[in-house]
Amino acid sequence: MMQKRWRRLLAVFLASMLVLGACGGRDDDDGDAAPPDDDTPTDTADNGDDTDDTDDTDDTEPPGDPEPAPGFDGETIRLGVLTPTSGTVAVIGNPLTAGNQAYVDYLNEELGGIAGQYPVELVVEDSAYDPTTAGQRYAAISDDVVAFVQILGTPVVNALLPDLIEDNVIAGPASLDSAWIREPNLMPIGGPYQVQAINAVDWYFSQPENEGQVLCTLASDDEYGDTGVAGVEFAADNLGIDIAVQAEYPAPSPTRPAQTFESQIGQLEGGDCDVIFFVATPTDTAPLNTVLTENTDYNPTVLGQSPSWLGLFAGFEYLQENFFLASEGTNYGDESVPGMAELVRIKETYAPEQEPDLYFNFGYLQAMAMHQILEEAVARGDLSRDGMVDAMENVGTLSFDGVFGDYEYGPADERQPPTSSSFFRPDPDSPMGLDLVERDYEADYVGDFTFE
Amino acid sequence: MRAVLAPFGRGPSGGRPSRNLVLDYRDDLRIFPDRWARIGLVLLAFLYLWLPSQQVSDAGLRTLSTIGIFAIGAIGLNLLTGYTGQVSLGHAFFIGVGSYTAAYLGAELGWPFLVYVPAAALIGVGLGVVIGPFALRLRGHYLVIVTLGLIFLGRHIFNNWTSVTGGNRGTQIRGADMSIGPLDFSGLELFGTTYSREQSMFFLVWALVALTALLAKNLVRSRMGRAMQAVRDRDLSAEIIGVDLARTKVGAFAWSSAFACVAGVLSALQIRFAGADDFGLFLSITYVAIIIIGGVGTIFGAIVGSIFVVGSEELINQNSRSDWLGPLVSTGPTDAGWLSVGELNAILFGAFIVGFLLFEPRGLAALWFRAKAWFLTWPFSY
Repeated sequence: MMQKRWRRLLAVFLASMLVLGACGGRDDDDGDAAPPDDDTPTDTADNGDDTDDTDDTDDTEPPGDPEPAPGFDGETIRLGVLTPTSGTVAVIGNPLTAGNQAYVDYLNEELGGIAGQYPVELVVEDSAYDPTTAGQRYAAISDDVVAFVQILGTPVVNALLPDLIEDNVIAGPASLDSAWIREPNLMPIGGPYQVQAINAVDWYFSQPENEGQVLCTLASDDEYGDTGVAGVEFAADNLGIDIAVQAEYPAPSPTRPAQTFESQIGQLEGGDCDVIFFVATPTDTAPLNTVLTENTDYNPTVLGQSPSWLGLFAGFEYLQENFFLASEGTNYGDESVPGMAELVRIKETYAPEQEPDLYFNFGYLQAMAMHQILEEAVARGDLSRDGMVDAMENVGTLSFDGVFGDYEYGPADERQPPTSSSFFRPDPDSPMGLDLVERDYEADYVGDFTFE
Repeated sequence: MRAVLAPFGRGPSGGRPSRNLVLDYRDDLRIFPDRWARIGLVLLAFLYLWLPSQQVSDAGLRTLSTIGIFAIGAIGLNLLTGYTGQVSLGHAFFIGVGSYTAAYLGAELGWPFLVYVPAAALIGVGLGVVIGPFALRLRGHYLVIVTLGLIFLGRHIFNNWTSVTGGNRGTQIRGADMSIGPLDFSGLELFGTTYSREQSMFFLVWALVALTALLAKNLVRSRMGRAMQAVRDRDLSAEIIGVDLARTKVGAFAWSSAFACVAGVLSALQIRFAGADDFGLFLSITYVAIIIIGGVGTIFGAIVGSIFVVGSEELINQNSRSDWLGPLVSTGPTDAGWLSVGELNAILFGAFIVGFLLFEPRGLAALWFRAKAWFLTWPFSY
């Protein structure tokens, strides 16, 4: 009897709560124009209705100041950074973010912010290089940022893509995967990994002394490893050479034991490999150097993909003799390249304690790309989510003043990434530990590679 | 007991004792033994309906949903480890199987929610039945190592069964059905009101937490549950008094992996991505930590442990720029501070596991039970 009464009471209570709860709904469409706070200056010019999405901004009157929007309170533009500041991948995440920050400091201090009037602020969150954590951090700040200047890691970007698409937020992937090129919510920069690999293999075999050498690959068993291998396979097909051995190793993870590479090197040595294309992160470059140094009977050349490098490796003797890094741009401090001279100046001014670093450069260039898109969005008078996507589609060519190749933007299916690469050798006396061997090399057939 | 109390006559309490005493075996088996438990249930129902309103942001709701997903998985692990005494480090493998089931059956093949969720649970049962027999020949450290092997086996399968898992690239989960009858939990519409995805997800996840907790609670009250606990306490004695060891251990594996697969489905629906790297040893260790901190061998502890482990991480994240944590925590490479948010979380995570094992091996649940007992027996201490 008591049980029945309790059940009845509970049912009535739940029904009434459901009706009350119905008052608390909110749909996902947060709207692109957050209402300004009471203390937000509302001196924005009335630009009439903003339903015009056409590209011709030169018709009647110019658009006025942008309305407040998520991440923009009418004064400050906030940009998100989702990157590992802890764990093994923090060695990449920290210099990347330092590069983002140095450029933003320069933008605020010397240019007065976007359009000379809107300072930029970074909101940095630790993704732990983990999709679940990254998803939570994304949800925590996505309503408070105009866009994400940096999201590090192919797995993390993959995991956040549905959210980015649903919320129509743009983000800069700190990864050179070619999969990003056709994603309308992503802001890739630089030549993709596949392009690096194609150019590296073609460049290596274009040297007369390397003719007839046996080509092999050593790649992490993950999506990043697949990208490099895809490029090598494409180049090998075009050159009419075989890949003798395709060795793999477990991708880095918090619980993976230290990689020794002994079995993989045994496999590659057994295949008489003369040159190994190495797809890795810095975590695994040092153990590879160790095992090759100890094995005095086997001295293959290693072609490394850009994320395999850290400046400290320049001190490794084996790598000094037998390693080339495929990357982009020029030597650090090369004053003949205007963009590089400016990068060095800005680094010395705003991040003097930061060592010259490839990842710092990449982060700096990401912020430079976002700067160009934000300028376009402000010029169009719209910093909303939709406005940012429109600005990205209409920004034209993103220029990096020679530090990276220019990137032709437009609708995602028409984007054209840079297709040249540069090659470096380890040099302990050079900044970043790298010395340029060949700049802006481009295989004849690299344009035939399809970016799906 | 009742006979002993009879001579006390019929006072204002109708002849019943003034306190909630256990008078017979059925009292011990009640899920909601007294008025306070029922009031607690009503309060929980109120929270369930009130929290997703405007009071909690979508980010907060996402964290609460993550806590719920971990709670379902932890309830499953507690059935296996806490109630049956079979230590397993392979739990992440089953979570992964559930995630990929949602990705393939739900998103790829477009099966209805009410079909692919039970299918995931059944796949979990099947896998549990296959793996369970190992527990008949192995125990303790040996069983831990065998279940650890599942992680590596799973990783290989997840990375190479490309047509189902997307291989190394992983797979995105877009457009999977999330409807139960007229209720579509991808964006609930109720009484003319539209709820956000996070609100809808909260309703779905915590309804399933309640369902799985009830199911697990009933299971441990049943003959099967008593057999599980007998096996945990002394398997040889249990077998001598008639407990079917094989059926009990395999059954525990089956139930545990079914719950884990359901948690995996929900995880995939929330993150909308499944990649092999997400189902590694660290995830299994997290689940073990949850049941240790929450309380081994309690359903309630699995939920409390999830709140503590997942919630504390989020609490540190949210307060990383506050006055009290700011000087300690750096939020980026250019920020002063000794530790990153992730590093501080890792340190606290380890410290809490060690602390609980040393000072309160029965976990947070024991603290609650002790506090409850103090109030119930007040002013007496017994």
